[in-house]
Amino acid sequence: MRLAALSEDVLTKVLPVPATHTGAMVKLLTCGSVDDGKSTLIGRLLWDSSAVTQDQQAAVLHASHNRAVNGERIDFSLLLDGLQAEREQGITIDIAWRYFETPNRRFVIIDAPGHEQYTRNMATGASHADIAILLVDARHGAKRQTRRHAAICDLVGIKKVVLAVNKMDLIGWSEPHFRTIEEEFRKLALSFGFTEIVTIPVAALTGDNVARRSSTMAWYDGPTLLDYLEEVEPRAEPLDAPFRMPVQLVLRASGDFRGYAGTVTSGTIRPGDRIVDARSGLGTTVRRIATMDGDLASAGKGDAVTLVLDTDLDISRGAVLSEVPRRPINADVLEARLVWLDETSFDPEMGYLLRTATDLTPVTSMSVQALIDFESLAATPAHACAVNDIADCRILLGRSTALDLFRDLPATGNFVLVSAIDGATVAGGVITWAQSGAPSVGDNVFVLDRALLARGLCSDLGDSPTDRAEFHRRAQEAAILLRSVGVPVLVEI
Amino acid sequence: MTALTSHLKLLEAESIHIFREAAAQFRSPVLLYSIGKDSTVLLHLARKAFWPAKPPFPLLHIDTTWKFHDMIAFRDRTVRDLGLDLIVHTNHEGLARGINPFDHPPSVYTNIMKTQGLRQALDAGGFDAAFGGARRDEEASRAKERVFSFRAAGHRWEPRRQRPEMWTLLNGRLGKGETVRIFPLSNWTEGDVWRYIAQEKLDVVPLYFAAMRKVVERDGQLIMVDDDRMQFLPGEQPVMRKVRFRTLGCWPLTAAIASDAADLDAIIEETLKAKVSERAGRLIDHDQAGAMEMKKREGYF
Ligand SMILES: Nc1nc2c(ncn2[C@@H]2O[C@H](COP(=O)(O)OP(=O)(O)O)[C@@H](O)[C@H]2O)c(=O)[nH]1
Repeated sequence: MRLAALSEDVLTKVLPVPATHTGAMVKLLTCGSVDDGKSTLIGRLLWDSSAVTQDQQAAVLHASHNRAVNGERIDFSLLLDGLQAEREQGITIDIAWRYFETPNRRFVIIDAPGHEQYTRNMATGASHADIAILLVDARHGAKRQTRRHAAICDLVGIKKVVLAVNKMDLIGWSEPHFRTIEEEFRKLALSFGFTEIVTIPVAALTGDNVARRSSTMAWYDGPTLLDYLEEVEPRAEPLDAPFRMPVQLVLRASGDFRGYAGTVTSGTIRPGDRIVDARSGLGTTVRRIATMDGDLASAGKGDAVTLVLDTDLDISRGAVLSEVPRRPINADVLEARLVWLDETSFDPEMGYLLRTATDLTPVTSMSVQALIDFESLAATPAHACAVNDIADCRILLGRSTALDLFRDLPATGNFVLVSAIDGATVAGGVITWAQSGAPSVGDNVFVLDRALLARGLCSDLGDSPTDRAEFHRRAQEAAILLRSVGVPVLVEI
Repeated sequence: MTALTSHLKLLEAESIHIFREAAAQFRSPVLLYSIGKDSTVLLHLARKAFWPAKPPFPLLHIDTTWKFHDMIAFRDRTVRDLGLDLIVHTNHEGLARGINPFDHPPSVYTNIMKTQGLRQALDAGGFDAAFGGARRDEEASRAKERVFSFRAAGHRWEPRRQRPEMWTLLNGRLGKGETVRIFPLSNWTEGDVWRYIAQEKLDVVPLYFAAMRKVVERDGQLIMVDDDRMQFLPGEQPVMRKVRFRTLGCWPLTAAIASDAADLDAIIEETLKAKVSERAGRLIDHDQAGAMEMKKREGYF
């Protein structure tokens, strides 16, 4: 499979689609460090766009009075803190989802925690967002945490970010100060794949440039935050992206009905189109696109449908149906960038499973190659990774599965890593490189086992954690080399 | 197509995706059917997700014996018309102890008749997953809930230990003793639910539409007299008022609102302009601060 060809082909055809379709619902991520004023900013956005009901208003006014944090001022952050632990500690520990709408748009606010130890929750929130609002305190500018947040937004595929420089009142509404922060951020953002960066000077407490244009900052001629959110085109989709539909389940019903249910993750499909099951390579023609509302003439990205095929492919959940020319990679080795989410650190000897769109594949071996340094944003060689780390790693699968590179097709190029022991979601990641395995595995599978490796290739290694990780890495590399010359290999260590 | 109908289409597809993921990953799911508008939408989406097959799971109704009579009639008609499989469970222990919403505080009544009843039914059925119609816009602790919401043994919700949920990848692998609650309507708002009901022409319990009904006014709330188990306070006289319900639960604990909204258009208009949040009409949520979170930790939906 020629990967580079697919990438260029897709990238050159990225064009925005009309706003009426994708712009109907916009998912916003809000993140910042503790005390930057994130809760106040969201509360202000909800309050000023009239999304707050009278009883909620009364509750907030009452509680603001009790706490008297801002003297006589309303504490907008009280609108948001939902869990008892959060109210007691005055911090936000989990993502909260808020909804509001303007006449044109329905907004989903995904409010992510600022605190470093809850970065995993932030990553969860970010993965659902179209646009990120990164908040910084005007007195401090971008911090280590801002870089971490930007790196996570980039990892999960967010393309558009707003840098909201808050508490402008505390720096005397100063333009030069704002421009310095803006420039600094644009420089650090060069490490990422953002396509649009907007910086807005705001004061959440007074509402300046949130929903109301600031008269004190007349020097600023860009949009207010709400103006921007109303106008922004949330998702730029490739116009002719290749068709993909991961099969969720096979539906059978009376009258010999047999259909493959799933959500189209990219491209479009029509009755009569040729499709192929990426894993087996078997092809057929789509006969019907069935839904309870009647058959469809075509289905596109995001549609949940059931495909009835001309001939039965004998496939099940986990298969990816694809157009014929540009297929997914039937991969059994891949490289990925991931964020580690679990309190328990990565352990090369643990059992993991790779959860892609609808498939669950056993991981034979996995090794960490590098960690992202949040100061320099560079990848530095490493073999271990722990909660909140972003790591580059290599994964060898027990069997092949159909997938794409994340930068080409995000929905079939992302995954979560699942613990085989307790089912926990330990990491979430994106596929950066993948390779089809050896030609069909016959009877003569070469087994790379522990004894064989310990005798030669790994004879210099002891029993320390570092040495054990290195043992796995060498086993994996040996397997990849053998497979690339067509030798079917099984790693058993 | 207006922007809003296309956003309902996105929400619908998202919910169908969730239903299918759950059906594929869990051994024995059940749909908690509580008869209200959210359950109506939930059921409709479940039918769409598996059409032309029937949803591959039964419905479960926890009957506290204090549901409005109109609700029970609607439930039975729906199940019959659609040919669905319904399990009705009542906490008979609680009933035998005489637990009722007049003589016991709302929190005690709810815990025994609803939360305990639900736990009994889930355990008895051996269900590992239960769909519910909860929305994140309902209440602050709901706003923090995942789509696949894992429960430790004893159905306890541990808000600090929620599983990360990235992209549309729903990991349904259960740990020892764990079960899961699934919320396909997580991203819907009250307004979306009504607009969808109108768009799909769904039938709902008539109590949602304004009509003259027998009520008493108590602590500023309008309580409908649904049968002769009503306990009047001294001097209380029922009067006929034009009212409707925004949310439906157990009758003396769910207040009506004065309203003229007698059809879907009027309800949508009223909902989108609402000045009071939906659960304000639920007396059980006001018992104490963080009431919903407490109930959820105990195993409530
Ligand atoms: N002076 C000033 N204070 C602000 C502004 N925005 C928020 N604050 C204050 O900063 C503190 C932290 O705000 P909060 O919203 O709770 O921060 P979070 O931790 O990021 O959610 C509170 O005391 C707010 O009142 C602002 O624009 N100007």
